[in-house]
Amino acid sequence: MRGRPTSEGAGAAATTPAIVHTTVESERSNPSAAPLPMKVAIIGAGRGGTALLEVLHQIPTIEIVGMTDKSPSAPGLKRAQELNVPVYGRIDDLLHDQPLTLLMDVTGDPAMEAALRQQKQTGADIISGQAARLFWLLVQHESTLQTELLQAEKMAGFGSFAAGIAHDMNNPLQLILGMAENLAEETDLEAVHAQALDIIDAVKRTTAICRDLTSYSRRTSVRQDGLIQVNSKLDEALKIARYAVALQDIEIRKRYQPDAVVKGNPDKLLHVFVNLITNAVQAMEHHGTLTLETISTADTTQVRVSDTGCGIPPELLTRIFEPFYTTKPPGKGTGLGLYNIKNVIQLMHGTIEVDSHIGQGSSFTLTFPSDPSPSEGTVQS
Amino acid sequence: MSEFKSGFFVGGESTNGRVLVVDDEPDIRKVVRMTLQKAGYDVLEAENGEKAIEVINSGENRLLLDVMICDIRMPKVNGIEAIAYFRENYPRVPLIVLTGFPDTDMATSLLRQGVVDYLVKPVEGEILKAAVGRAMERRELAPL
Repeated sequence: MRGRPTSEGAGAAATTPAIVHTTVESERSNPSAAPLPMKVAIIGAGRGGTALLEVLHQIPTIEIVGMTDKSPSAPGLKRAQELNVPVYGRIDDLLHDQPLTLLMDVTGDPAMEAALRQQKQTGADIISGQAARLFWLLVQHESTLQTELLQAEKMAGFGSFAAGIAHDMNNPLQLILGMAENLAEETDLEAVHAQALDIIDAVKRTTAICRDLTSYSRRTSVRQDGLIQVNSKLDEALKIARYAVALQDIEIRKRYQPDAVVKGNPDKLLHVFVNLITNAVQAMEHHGTLTLETISTADTTQVRVSDTGCGIPPELLTRIFEPFYTTKPPGKGTGLGLYNIKNVIQLMHGTIEVDSHIGQGSSFTLTFPSDPSPSEGTVQS
Repeated sequence: MSEFKSGFFVGGESTNGRVLVVDDEPDIRKVVRMTLQKAGYDVLEAENGEKAIEVINSGENRLLLDVMICDIRMPKVNGIEAIAYFRENYPRVPLIVLTGFPDTDMATSLLRQGVVDYLVKPVEGEILKAAVGRAMERRELAPL
């Protein structure tokens, strides 16, 4: 799997066993664990090139050494700059600037392959034409699978919402029924008016539940990608999470920095927040403090979800981001929650870090690069 | 916190019985009270299990209370904890569960613990009154 957690805090844990620190981020930052990277150049920065870039840059054994396109305004070039992938104005420079293992030609230009064969370094392979198209199709397929997995996990999680939904729907329904029964016999006009207003309020509350949940359950679309106001997204997540877990006895502290924004898919980020909040509350077994924090600096935006729960045993910390790994009883967890979270965070070029103290609680910190271009709203789909 | 009708039951024969309604939703307490008062019951309210324990231990309530209606999902002391306390300390008082979440396992477990009825919201007034009526028949008089 990609993004397998590394135990950077293992040494610290040996001297202070109660404190465990784990960071999950691009494995490129841990070169000793990975073989020598394959050095790949991408020629063509249209839809195909951009999609390849998105996927390949997540793979730790691949280093994208550069990208080029005959059009300086090609969407992939902007994305490459955001990912700190060098952008070349001329193919020649890209081909000769450094050693290359593989040239990926996604220009769709039949003449390009011949030109590359003439100019390429000895030993470098070329993928172009139908082979490049096949790669693009596989990349699209992988992206679809990831979205499906996220949706599957979201739907599986709906089972745990049943108690919360039933509570929040049946209470107003009880009021409506009781009031309506009373109205059938009520003769005092003032009381009739007051009770009618109570009924209207109760109906509104019930419809709000449906609105929250139908919006949460919808499939995510990359077309919605853009700048996300993190604080309001956390508040929205809290509203959804309360269907899954009882928040009545949880003290909620919000330490929001105003105007904290990140770039990405709002529905996916909402799902990440709902999952982290739900996990945090479950770890506290209905009593404790949930802290939601946002911190903006010039370079990064951080989101931290902390609990005062049971903490995660050190031996499990390296496994919690693995797919299908769960400590919950059968039927209670899919084991896909943190795995999907990690995927979403990586897609947003962020990192996720866990601090856990047995018996004291856990803290999940998400760090995203700050986006300096507030006017940018969408990415290519 | 919103107003709710805590306080003391009044002794004597003026009512059909004395019922304590425990629910964190003021609206639910309001409609249950409305329904039962019309049927001649004296009703007190508590917003959670902790308050319910306070209410029953106030004045002569512990002697006068006939039936308790209790929600499950509540803050502080929840319904399960409150029911355990009441079964332990006031086994003579019949308990009716009125919950928003139908859960067969929980219902079975609570009925085994001596809960006399497990009602799922929304419940019609007639059914609620019938359940309270049945519970009244099962109450035992408080020891003098």
